[in-house]
Amino acid sequence: MTKKYETEAPGYTMTTVMEEAARCLLCHDAPCSQMCPAHTDPGKFIRSVRFRNLKGAAETVRENNAMGAICARVCPTEKYCELACSRTGIDKPIDIGGIQRFVTDFEQQAEMDILQKGESNGKSIAIVGSGPAGLQTATTMLERGYSVDIYEKSEKAGGYLTYGIPEYRLPADIVEYEIKRIINLGAKMHYNVTIGKDITMDELKASNDAVVVAVGASEAKVLPMFEGNDYVESAVDFLARVKEAKGNIKDVPASAVVIGGGDVAMDVSTTLKRLDVEHVTDVVYEQFDEFRASKKELAGTQREGVTIVDGYVPESVDGNEVTFKARNMDGKLTIKADKIILAIGQQVNADNLGINIEHGVVPYTGYKTDDPKVFVTGDIAQGDQTVVWAVRKGKEVADLIDSELIGGTK
Amino acid sequence: MIKKDLSVDFLGVHFENPFLLSSSPVDNCYEMCAKAFDEGWGGVVFKTIGPKNFEVDEVSPRFDELTKEGTPFVGFKNMEQIAEHSLEENLHDLKQLKENYPDKIVVASIMGTNEQDWEELAQLVTEAKADMIEMNLSCPQMTSHEMGSDVGTNPELVKKYCAAVKRGSDLPMMAKMTPNITDMIPAAKASLAGGAEGIATINTVKSISNIDLEKRVALPIVNGKSSISGFSGKAVKPIALRFIQQLRVAAGLEQLPISGIGGIETWQDAAEFILLGATTLQVTTSVMQYGYRIVEDMKNGLMHYMEDQGVDHLSELIGSANKNIVPAEDLDRDYKVYPKIDWDKCIGCGRCYVSCFDGAHQAITWDPKTRRPSVDTSKCVGCHLCNLVCPVGAITTGEKVMKPGRKGNAEDKQVESVRLTHF
Repeated sequence: MTKKYETEAPGYTMTTVMEEAARCLLCHDAPCSQMCPAHTDPGKFIRSVRFRNLKGAAETVRENNAMGAICARVCPTEKYCELACSRTGIDKPIDIGGIQRFVTDFEQQAEMDILQKGESNGKSIAIVGSGPAGLQTATTMLERGYSVDIYEKSEKAGGYLTYGIPEYRLPADIVEYEIKRIINLGAKMHYNVTIGKDITMDELKASNDAVVVAVGASEAKVLPMFEGNDYVESAVDFLARVKEAKGNIKDVPASAVVIGGGDVAMDVSTTLKRLDVEHVTDVVYEQFDEFRASKKELAGTQREGVTIVDGYVPESVDGNEVTFKARNMDGKLTIKADKIILAIGQQVNADNLGINIEHGVVPYTGYKTDDPKVFVTGDIAQGDQTVVWAVRKGKEVADLIDSELIGGTK
Repeated sequence: MIKKDLSVDFLGVHFENPFLLSSSPVDNCYEMCAKAFDEGWGGVVFKTIGPKNFEVDEVSPRFDELTKEGTPFVGFKNMEQIAEHSLEENLHDLKQLKENYPDKIVVASIMGTNEQDWEELAQLVTEAKADMIEMNLSCPQMTSHEMGSDVGTNPELVKKYCAAVKRGSDLPMMAKMTPNITDMIPAAKASLAGGAEGIATINTVKSISNIDLEKRVALPIVNGKSSISGFSGKAVKPIALRFIQQLRVAAGLEQLPISGIGGIETWQDAAEFILLGATTLQVTTSVMQYGYRIVEDMKNGLMHYMEDQGVDHLSELIGSANKNIVPAEDLDRDYKVYPKIDWDKCIGCGRCYVSCFDGAHQAITWDPKTRRPSVDTSKCVGCHLCNLVCPVGAITTGEKVMKPGRKGNAEDKQVESVRLTHF
């Protein structure tokens, strides 16, 4: 029964990846490469595949992106590299994510150790949070010769990668392998430690040259009308529970209504269908032309047979019966379901960290805080909130700290 | 569906269409040839029959392919030798084929080790009612140096063996030439002097296709070792066309009947061989990859081509492109033609810019903001590399100009081609 939940779509073979790489026009000054927020350089790694240099391709991906195998699977490429692809002028963009997945799968099979620890400079960095931004920050700092300690409040590293994105889209063993790579590089992991509770920020600052706060937005938002309702569960809790149980949850409902229209709502809706929930309806505040979810995830959700109703906002709830109001028309919609899952966004818990958060982010651009020893990165820093942006922010905060502490540029 | 007469007469034998399976693994028994006939082939050159005392002992595995990007079978390497069935079985199959398919043409390919072998084999296949004989003087992977391409490169032996075959049979006969030779004309003339009426060419090109980089052994690996052997398929087509063209323009060989072989897989390939002088066409590699059914599109496509060209018989096309292939010193070198870039078609990939800079004359400028190329005529030599690399056919032939000091009207120069104007 959980097979559908656990099974990732098959990747390319050597033959099919060559066919896809042969579609690539190998552009001069490749537009795709200019569009990757993390500078993963698809133009270069696809060219390496085309000329059968898979090891070189793996180096290009990995040296630019410590989350290369993860980005390959979850990046909304349609908004970045594939949006810029010249091939679109002929038919459709190159499947850059798919080729990157082939390359990183090869890297894993070949047991390549591409990342190299820099010569120690005697300085130490503490990172709060082990989501993609924290992990990328750690990688870049380790490559530059810093010692790195990562503090994670949960029992596993990875944040939303580990506890959120469903198994069929991002297998746990892929995430574990990416993290193991960074641990092998020298990152010291401290699990089940909450900074501000178990260890204070002052203690961290005293024992490190810099502290990077990368806590992300891990806590579910709940609308007041749903508080205390037994039928209601947050998307974050639901996805974490299903992933932990590898899909073997006992209370699979017969029907469910999902509220929200981002990628998380798509993950929840698709997961429900893959757990064989017959009736899944997703009610979305936005209309289709303003949807937040990536086209790829939306299409996947529709393919699973989820009913998507756009342009409605929840108005009231009575037990398991939710009434929505049309945003742009007169009318209401009432749905009764065994389960109500809220995917209306997450909020930041930065208690006792001394960081000012407004609407989920710091109220200033960049990574510096008022405290010269403390930096922010990841979703709480300004910018997009995707994995690839987390990688970018991780590299940028590492650059900044390096230049502040050592005075070098790169 | 279009209907045109594809029949040809070759060495006095009438073929319903020019498409034959070449002597190879694709026609080594009755069942294979029968199926090929049923699917529309005009004839078969039955897999080479050797002398009774020659034991065929094959290796495993025995093939390899050359690939490029995602394309398989760009070229094909083959280590198989001649027919592995017994002489009696082969002769029986020939006879049965003729009995059951009287309108199809059965060519017997034979190969001996000495004059007596050749004469006897010729006699035997004639008794088996074959329509024609092809002498295999060109297989590059025989285990005996008295057989195959080592013989075909020696004009004296070629002449002697052709004469032996003629003593054994009065059937029309063609000699199959090897391309593993600088000039094919002496061997072809020797075979005609020995009595051959036509030439079949090319056989496979001696090759090493790939090396296993871990084991440092060529492919295919036969218990840790490999050998040089014959290469065929699309990659050898240009070599085959060159040999055929040179044969047909050699003094005294202008009307030489040729059975063309080498990388034919589409009607276009077939038409090219015909235009350079082939009357019949032989195919193996593409059949090994795709099966006998490929003949359907080769026949139909060739009929449409005939219709487009306004001809009713293939004989009107044979060799008609040869007059347009001249020595390099006779080409018009007085003008150049600039490329013309269609910016509506251009998708801004910059491949023309890269190739012109790195492979030609730095004559394409690139605007990084608009991502559009332009031609700098002060540097352009008119080589048209840009046209070849453009993935969308946005670059065609444009303005033609005379070189400084040359006489003539540039506009009269003919340079447009289907390749240059259509994508």
